[in-house]
Amino acid sequence: MAEAALRRPALDRDRLLSLLQNYGVYAAIVLLVVVNAAITQNFLTLANLRVQLYQAVPILVVALGMALVIGTEGIDLSVGAVISLASAMIPLYLGYGPWAAMGTAMVAGAVSGVISGSLVAFAGVQPIIATLALMIGLRGLAVILNGASAKEVSDPLIDGLGTGDWLGIPQMAWVAVVLVGLVAFLVNRTTFGRQLVAIGDNRAASALSGLPVRRVLMTVYVLSGVLAAIAGILLVGYGSYADPSNLGLNYELNAITAVVVGGTPLSGGKVRVLGTVAGAVLMQLITATLIQHDVKASIEQMVEAAIIVAAVYTARGRSGR
Amino acid sequence: MAAGSRFPRGHLRPVLAVLAGTALLATGCAKSAGQSGGGGGGGGGASSPSSDSAAATGGQQQVASGGTTGSCTYKKYGAPKLDLKKTVVGFSQSESTSNPFRATETNSITSQAKNLGIKLIQRNANANISQQNTDIEDMIAQGAKVLIVAPENAGVAPALRQARAKHIPVLAIDRTVNGTACKDFIGFIGSNFLGQAKIAADDLGQALKGKGNVAVLQGTSGNNVAADRTNGFNQELKQKYPNIKIVASQTANFDQATGQKVMAQMLQSHSNITGVYAENDTMALGAIQAMRSAGKTPGKDIKIVSIDGIQDAVKDVASGVIYSDIETNPRFGPLAFQTLQNFYSTGTGSKVIIKDHHFTQSNAAQALKNGDVY
Amino acid sequence: MADAGRAGVGVTNPSPVLELAHVSKSFVGVRALQDVDFRLRPGQVHALVGENGAGKSTLIKVATGVYHPDAGEIRLDGSPVHFASPLAAQEAGISTIYQEINLVPLMSVARNLYLNREPRRFGLIDAARMRRDARRVLREYGVNVNVARPLRELGLGAQQMVAIARAVQIDARVVIMDEPTSSLEHREVETLFGVIERLRHQGIAILYVSHRLDELFRICDAVTVMRDGRVVHTGAMRDLDRLHLVSLMLGRDIAEVRRHGTTDFGSAHHIGDRPVLRAENLSSRRVLQDVSLEVRPGEVVGLGGLLGAGRSETAKAVVGALHTEAGRIEVDGAQVRRNSTAAAIRAGAVLLPEDRKSEGIVPNLSVRENIVLAALPRISRAGLVTRAKQDEIVDYFMKRLRIKASSPEQKVGELSGGNQQKVLLARWLCLNPKVLLLDEPTRGIDVGAKAEVQGVIDELAKDGLGVVLISSELEELIEGSNRVVVLKDGRKVGELTGDQVSEDALMQSLAQAPGGTPRTDG
Repeated sequence: MAEAALRRPALDRDRLLSLLQNYGVYAAIVLLVVVNAAITQNFLTLANLRVQLYQAVPILVVALGMALVIGTEGIDLSVGAVISLASAMIPLYLGYGPWAAMGTAMVAGAVSGVISGSLVAFAGVQPIIATLALMIGLRGLAVILNGASAKEVSDPLIDGLGTGDWLGIPQMAWVAVVLVGLVAFLVNRTTFGRQLVAIGDNRAASALSGLPVRRVLMTVYVLSGVLAAIAGILLVGYGSYADPSNLGLNYELNAITAVVVGGTPLSGGKVRVLGTVAGAVLMQLITATLIQHDVKASIEQMVEAAIIVAAVYTARGRSGR
Repeated sequence: MAAGSRFPRGHLRPVLAVLAGTALLATGCAKSAGQSGGGGGGGGGASSPSSDSAAATGGQQQVASGGTTGSCTYKKYGAPKLDLKKTVVGFSQSESTSNPFRATETNSITSQAKNLGIKLIQRNANANISQQNTDIEDMIAQGAKVLIVAPENAGVAPALRQARAKHIPVLAIDRTVNGTACKDFIGFIGSNFLGQAKIAADDLGQALKGKGNVAVLQGTSGNNVAADRTNGFNQELKQKYPNIKIVASQTANFDQATGQKVMAQMLQSHSNITGVYAENDTMALGAIQAMRSAGKTPGKDIKIVSIDGIQDAVKDVASGVIYSDIETNPRFGPLAFQTLQNFYSTGTGSKVIIKDHHFTQSNAAQALKNGDVY
Repeated sequence: MADAGRAGVGVTNPSPVLELAHVSKSFVGVRALQDVDFRLRPGQVHALVGENGAGKSTLIKVATGVYHPDAGEIRLDGSPVHFASPLAAQEAGISTIYQEINLVPLMSVARNLYLNREPRRFGLIDAARMRRDARRVLREYGVNVNVARPLRELGLGAQQMVAIARAVQIDARVVIMDEPTSSLEHREVETLFGVIERLRHQGIAILYVSHRLDELFRICDAVTVMRDGRVVHTGAMRDLDRLHLVSLMLGRDIAEVRRHGTTDFGSAHHIGDRPVLRAENLSSRRVLQDVSLEVRPGEVVGLGGLLGAGRSETAKAVVGALHTEAGRIEVDGAQVRRNSTAAAIRAGAVLLPEDRKSEGIVPNLSVRENIVLAALPRISRAGLVTRAKQDEIVDYFMKRLRIKASSPEQKVGELSGGNQQKVLLARWLCLNPKVLLLDEPTRGIDVGAKAEVQGVIDELAKDGLGVVLISSELEELIEGSNRVVVLKDGRKVGELTGDQVSEDALMQSLAQAPGGTPRTDG
């Protein structure tokens, strides 16, 4: 009777959902590339690839840090403001040379991480509140430091990071590859990475097992801050100017989107590094497809919303069973 | 939270200390590229807003239509008679002064108030409309009796209603607000955005000799300036240059980074773009960067027409990178206070349209030299 | 099954209210139910027993619409039904009380009781009536509390009672109770049995799942035994004796079961002289006062007391998981810093927590990662995880503790309770601890796994480990412990040694102990 007919699809639905959850992002990327190859002019060209790369890498770098934080069942809303702060540091310290300027920018990111990390790990403030406070405060600080005006940055090293090549491949791509490799290694192969995931999955159990919960949380927020600062440096290099009022706006949301679409659950206990890369790439491809076909920005936002809902639904669909 | 409850709040204090320390540290030994004398932005003070003394020479606003005299007085408006010199005037700036337009506008208002000996209080809402409402309400609470508002958009209505209820007159500058002039607000001083867009369309039509593919970088959606600049351009192009096709039209939020991103995408899908119309200069600057990284030469492969007339863009006009730039003159100080003074005496007009410069390769260098460019 | 027909107990044999016929259910790779027949009759308390993984939970979930059967039929009053969701089953009169309490901790007791079917007035919730009704209903269940307070302020036992009351309130015709007594005090259990008796008289059918055999024999009329996804026996409870039942569950000879006894504790062995754990005058605001404890190598020290006496708190204080203001802890002669789990673990004192789910397992990590979780820093080189060493440890303990998992990479959250407990034991044993504190080590795990865990504890003690045992099962506590320290209201009130270690003596000690009325709110 009806049940026999029902049984099949039910089983297949589980399988499909699990497949979607694990490989959905990659499938979506393949699909978009195929569709674009067919309908978009000059899509499969090196030049186009470069454009997408330049635009995706800064978000990806931020998303890597965000994935770590989300893995601990936290969230870091301050990353956009950290980008802004890092961009303010660069013209301010460029007089000491590009390395010093970039170093200061990263230190600023780390300090921001220390603050949010202490609030979360020691003072027990909820991550969303702690980093929301920084999100508001840091951008203000950045605007004050920078003197409330966009500043041109013409340093060959920093601009090179944003637009130059190394061995025929954009330097940004090298930076991304190295950072993705480091974070993947950190998550999968180090004690720290495994502890991070365990703490995100069950903090009480981790504490009872003697894991250094506070130290791990602190480190995670510092890493997120430093990665956001690196994204800030890349963005300054890409545009050859530093504008703390506008740089990094909404990056926290873009990063969270990339992480979630990449299959890392907001409930923590899991960090999908490659998934995060795919999430960032997918969102970039969607933006590119829509802009290149001259679709209105408002429609683009709706499409992005649909993707997020779909990603969250597939993630829920399986754990809910 | 289990961990939290075990630790006293005292942990917050060192955190704050660290934050404060960072701020000090960050500025304490800062050294910018300009200070070291190496490189910088190509020419002294390239990216810093011009000082007001420069504006005082040739760059001052001129009235194109309307005028600062008319029938609108404090009596008609229902506001108490005031002596401006003994009054607190509030100025609400809508957006961050990282944009030279905003910096110059604020400078102009501030220095004119100083010249006239008027007490001015001011706030900047950094493009946040609810912030601007709060700003205006705060200034009213602080005792402002007259307001000059550069509105972010029509969303300032709640604060304006409050001003209306307290019989505090409001003068809108650079963008207008909803309502009836001389009733809900005194009037509006600003550019003719439709007119600017038509000039831009004519310029691009000439540059492309009536034929080509054009991309448009639009301003923030839902903003009446952006809407006028889009509509004016489209209308003019359709009427006069039927062989110019708009192949792409996307918003870039009046922002440089976004302008760069969007232009980069457009150049990929439309390799045949020969003209670009940017609804403000910062987007044009971003677009130039995108063209260069795509291997195109702006000014040669692609003609650019832009609006606003900030220094960096006008320099590009002089060097031929941008074909032309239509100014939006931000030096509102003299006209704004003139309007207010007339309002309290003989009466003022309700819509003052200013004359904007039109920078082309033939006059740009001279204008820069004269200090007409902000 | 052939003998399914003679399950009746009363004079008449009423027709079943709920019936599962030839039901099968598979999950990816696992056949959880195979051709299961099951009948539940009105006015009958029907026991469902079996080891963990035998298919009890799946059967319940199929019957309540959580899962849909792959094959077979569910009949309600003889006609086939299909429950699209748990709600549909509930609306058809099937109420379930799950092992984990499924209520909303932050909502008031009354709201929880009437969640989704609040009494209404003019379309709004009639809060006054709801509270009045809730008070009246809960009194019948022996719960006298302020129903306006959030549920989480109640003890676990009282919460469980609220869950039961809620389930019965929903015009239930079938009530399914999955381990209802696992978090109840003795007194509360008696109340529950009274409630069950009343339900039986009302003609409600009750499906009762429990690992506590005593309870089954006391209150159940019929019994169904499951093993490996099949029904291996259905019949009247009175036709079976204890031994027979255990042998059916385990699938072993009666003779074999007889040799083992009811617990696996008891072999005598040498106890050392020098204490391996010495805790002195531990005090923690409101929960512990001057509690001292000494454990020698090879000794199992039981902590006796009622819920809320401070047993779990004492164990947590020893390993630094409960903040103490005063006291001194020594492990193997060396003083250990208080209030640091890391320090306690380094010194060799480890705790198997009571709440396996929220404080023990890391559900989304694999069996392997859960086992090596605490040992990770020790077996890593320069912060890098070394896989070979891990595999060696994991392999050893999976074999030694007979952890049943599809592979070391299976998520711990997917294992049965007994296997999860073994994983937690392995997490500690691979650190070579000196003192093992066990808080309810056999709660909610099946007979087979329970015996295994008890056997392991015995073995560890033999090897010279000091063990602290907390158990609500008197039998386990008495048979397992060499010595029992009795706690009440956060104080040590007595100690039983040698022949004194007996149920009677413990009861007496609890009854005599000074310090007012015993707390029963957990």
